[in-house]
Amino acid sequence: MTSLSSPTTSAQANVSSLRRTLRAWIPKRWYAHIILSISCLVLGIPLFYSIIVATQNNSDVYSYQFTFGESLRDNWKMAFEMRGLHEYMLNSVIMTVAITVGKTVFSLLAGLAFVYFRFPGKWLVFGFVLITLMMPTEVFIIALFRYINRIGWANTYLALIVPFMASATGAFLFRQHFASIPAELSEAAQLDGANPLQFLLRVLIPISWNTIGALAVVQSIYAWNMYTWPNMIISDPSLDVVQVGLSALRTGDASTQYGPLMLGAVIASLPPVIIFILLQKQFMSGFTLTRDK
Amino acid sequence: MKKVIFAMVMMALVLALAAPSGAIQAQDPVKIEVWIAFSDYRLDWVKEVAEEFNAMFPQYQVNIVGGMSYEEMFAQVSVAAEQNALPGVIHFNEASTQDARDSGNFKPIAQALGDRTEVNGLAIDFDDIIEPTTAYYTLDGNWTSFPWNTSSAIWFSNMNFVNAAGFDTPPATWADVDEYCAGIMALDNAPEYCWTFPNYGWFFEQWLAQQDALFVNNDNGRADRATEVAFNSDAGLAIFNWLNDQYDKGYLYYSGAQGGDSWGTVDQAYQTQSVAMAAYSSSDTTLYTRMGEENGFTTVASFLPYNQETGWTGNLIGGGSLWLVDGLTPEVEEGALTFMIFLSNTEHAAAWHQLTGYVAVRESANQMLEEEGWFAENPNQTVAMQQLVQSTVTPATSGALVGGFPAIRNAVTGATDRLFLTDEDPAGLLDKAASEANVIIEEYNLLNAP
Amino acid sequence: MIISPLLLVLAGALVGAVVIGFVFSSAAHRGLLGAVLGAGAGALGSLICMLPLDYCMFEAERKSIDVIFGVALVGLGVLLALAPVAWLSGKLLRRESLVSATSQPTQGTFRHWWIALPLLAPTLTILVLFLYYPSVETLRLSTMLSRLGARREAFVCVDNYTRLFEGSAYFDVVARTVYMSFFIVVLSMAIGLLIATMAYLPVKGASIYRTLLVWPYAISPAVAGIIFLLMFNPTGGIVNYFLKNWFGVRPGWLNDPSLAPWTIIISSVWKSIGFNILFYIAALQNVPVDLIEAGAIDGAGLLRRFWHIVWPLLSPTTFFLLITNLTYAFFDTFATIDYLTPGGGPLQSTTTMMYQVIRLGVDNNDLGKAAAQSVVLFLMVIGITVLSFRTGGRQVTYGA
Repeated sequence: MTSLSSPTTSAQANVSSLRRTLRAWIPKRWYAHIILSISCLVLGIPLFYSIIVATQNNSDVYSYQFTFGESLRDNWKMAFEMRGLHEYMLNSVIMTVAITVGKTVFSLLAGLAFVYFRFPGKWLVFGFVLITLMMPTEVFIIALFRYINRIGWANTYLALIVPFMASATGAFLFRQHFASIPAELSEAAQLDGANPLQFLLRVLIPISWNTIGALAVVQSIYAWNMYTWPNMIISDPSLDVVQVGLSALRTGDASTQYGPLMLGAVIASLPPVIIFILLQKQFMSGFTLTRDK
Repeated sequence: MKKVIFAMVMMALVLALAAPSGAIQAQDPVKIEVWIAFSDYRLDWVKEVAEEFNAMFPQYQVNIVGGMSYEEMFAQVSVAAEQNALPGVIHFNEASTQDARDSGNFKPIAQALGDRTEVNGLAIDFDDIIEPTTAYYTLDGNWTSFPWNTSSAIWFSNMNFVNAAGFDTPPATWADVDEYCAGIMALDNAPEYCWTFPNYGWFFEQWLAQQDALFVNNDNGRADRATEVAFNSDAGLAIFNWLNDQYDKGYLYYSGAQGGDSWGTVDQAYQTQSVAMAAYSSSDTTLYTRMGEENGFTTVASFLPYNQETGWTGNLIGGGSLWLVDGLTPEVEEGALTFMIFLSNTEHAAAWHQLTGYVAVRESANQMLEEEGWFAENPNQTVAMQQLVQSTVTPATSGALVGGFPAIRNAVTGATDRLFLTDEDPAGLLDKAASEANVIIEEYNLLNAP
Repeated sequence: MIISPLLLVLAGALVGAVVIGFVFSSAAHRGLLGAVLGAGAGALGSLICMLPLDYCMFEAERKSIDVIFGVALVGLGVLLALAPVAWLSGKLLRRESLVSATSQPTQGTFRHWWIALPLLAPTLTILVLFLYYPSVETLRLSTMLSRLGARREAFVCVDNYTRLFEGSAYFDVVARTVYMSFFIVVLSMAIGLLIATMAYLPVKGASIYRTLLVWPYAISPAVAGIIFLLMFNPTGGIVNYFLKNWFGVRPGWLNDPSLAPWTIIISSVWKSIGFNILFYIAALQNVPVDLIEAGAIDGAGLLRRFWHIVWPLLSPTTFFLLITNLTYAFFDTFATIDYLTPGGGPLQSTTTMMYQVIRLGVDNNDLGKAAAQSVVLFLMVIGITVLSFRTGGRQVTYGA
């Protein structure tokens, strides 16, 4: 750019033309590209290798073959036809959908109650819900395990779903979100004679899709990936979720058959990864952190 | 009048509801649910037998539920018992025997059978069951559960390494193992380690029984309810000292995995030829033999090496047995008994042995296999059987009966783990494991003893 | 050592009288009324923990550690009784409104306040049944000897707790939990921030990079365990295959007690880093690019600028991520540990507090001891939460 406008020696001309060439070849912010590429690679290698192994048999794995093998069909047969991976997947789908829908609906209702109603002892109820943020289910899992057994829910979908249908997180997310919506909206709705549910359905939900989406993504990934609780409370294999069912592939034939195991692991990861990648933008815009209120 | 009409209508309704269901019941097979603690090809085999059974006895319909491990089955049964949702038959491993007897959920087989010698035309013939299995599962000569899958701990050698080191046969004693390992590890193409075993409490129990030493007091819990462990004896210490020595010399590979999940790590080490020899359950003899064939080496099975100082008394059994749930209707109970007998009849006992490597629990099955030339063709498959048959039956080799056994095993595997990875004194570790186990027994007896 | 229950009630009453009496007299009211009120509350407080336990730790044959526990519990009970009394009376005496603490917008609310009840009912019912009730049941179980399927339960006072102080075994578990959690959280957040500062720059293909960076968040802890088991296996894993070929070493990733926790840490960082990258990118988007990049020519300036200007701007996100990552490290790593080092690792080196609870409660069927350890875990969660709110979270209300 500058070399033409001012007279220069031939050496300088060489340098600047070299610069030009470099500039054309090296992308802007090359350091960022290098760091990002390496990061993507390091994060991606474990998954990529898993996909390769999913097509191999144990002999391939133990002889360190890094190309696709020929056992995909056998592994598929082992995982699905013999070990019933599809049943585990179906159980996971049922559990995930039920938890996600239940949690979202109940959280919406709670958020509505907290923002659009004044009732005696509200601060107490609010605190009651707030405190559960400090009470992860895992901490009381032993007592919950015993309790669920007592009421006869062990080895039912109820045990997998109902305890997780309420969440302080969700209630707060919607409370924060609704509180940021101008009060005029609800006043106008009330003038039009809308009842609270109509207001929720016709006004609040249509303007809250980002928040709903964000909560749904987080909760569905959380539900799909649950392991400790389903592992404890479900011992009937026909009700196992996929995260637990994978261990049947691990110990499937005495010695670990890595091919079917990795095929199962990759397939079990597809639903959450796809949901997450597709709804990434919505996920982020729903989680705007509100600071210094 | 109204009342009469009402009563008649009600009666008609009741009849209408009851009649068809009653009629169907007459033709409907009696449903019997059986829970099996396997999830692999072994489960598939049981399902095939069940289909065969259902075809042969159309009045019954046996439904096999599997996919649980022994440990999961244990928890599942406690839960189901609380909900009155127990099936007809349950498959427990040997360590669950005392807990199962104490739970009150099961009817002793002897009591259910009474004096009968056959059920639905199938001969029971308990005299045909091999002695070690009989010794483990009977109490005062009475069967509490029905025998099925019986195994023993044996030794697998990769003969390519053993021969290269200048030996023709697998090691027989602990001293042999040491000598062999010195040779194997000096090879140019030496494996990473010489040998390995799953850090699962059962192996400690095996080496203890070989020395005719008790695991728990009161004749291994057979004379009276066990109240204390007895494994922190000279025999127990000898095991710990030997294992410690093997590990320190770099002969013994320890994968770090403990309990039920340690089996897989041994398979992998043996299959990849990272070790030359392995102690393992005979339940996978078929698999281990095949592993060699598929990876270009020869596997030879042999007796589990013993302490040459104390000699060899015998080995104890492992595996599981079938338990009959108490409180079933007479028809279901009859069907359940029929299926148990069917599953362990001569033909099935032989086929089961061929498929897996579990011992064939009937003498007649062994005889049949012998006549067919199976043992001559597959010498590895005779080892577990021979080891058990040659064992002298004593309280030590009959195996321990004690409550909270799975937790006690965890105490032993924990001590073994520390033995390898720390400098702690073997005797001290053993005593600590013993006092941990004693607390478990005391608490178990407090809560569970009738 | 025997301490009479009456003595404890009197002690509680005395403490209560002094404290509440002081609150009253400082608000220029009659201290005597306060003292009487406080004495009642204090006496009641000393009974809160002792009545359900029936003063068991003061029985004749108990050891001194039981007595110390008992006195501490009485103290806790008195504190629990006095705190609300002191707070309420303080407020009332100064004639402050009670509800001001959580003021709500008054415009736009619906009439018929009772409609809120059915709206809140599902959430409250579930929280009561499946969170509050189990928490009380955990406390009860922690004083029992209890097994699933047993004929009976037995009351063992505070033995399940005092047992934790025998020997160093439990302290080791706590220390390991802290050790692993610390490195998981710090590494995951630090590397996440570094990558995020690059990924938020307007480079070509930024959105592709971002997608390729954040997906591991959606992978489950169980699958992370499986994948790393495949790679880090000492016999047949590719990591040692390459390490041996290139450097001639074969680290015991799963059976070396000092390395095994690091295998868990590495796999957990791999799994959780995407989440941190995502949130840091979002937070950085409020920071002008120049602030980060202009200093690229002189490195020192860059760091200083980052530390003084950018870092404070990120603090709400950092705080949110800290809590989320801590939760992950404490609880969600269970599945990864269970697949990588079943049984809790060599020398229990990967046994976290959570793993220990499950191992005791489920594998050993020892519900009482597991419940007691759950209570300790709960106290730790409360401690960490309070601590982090005091240090970093004051100005932040977070919504996730």
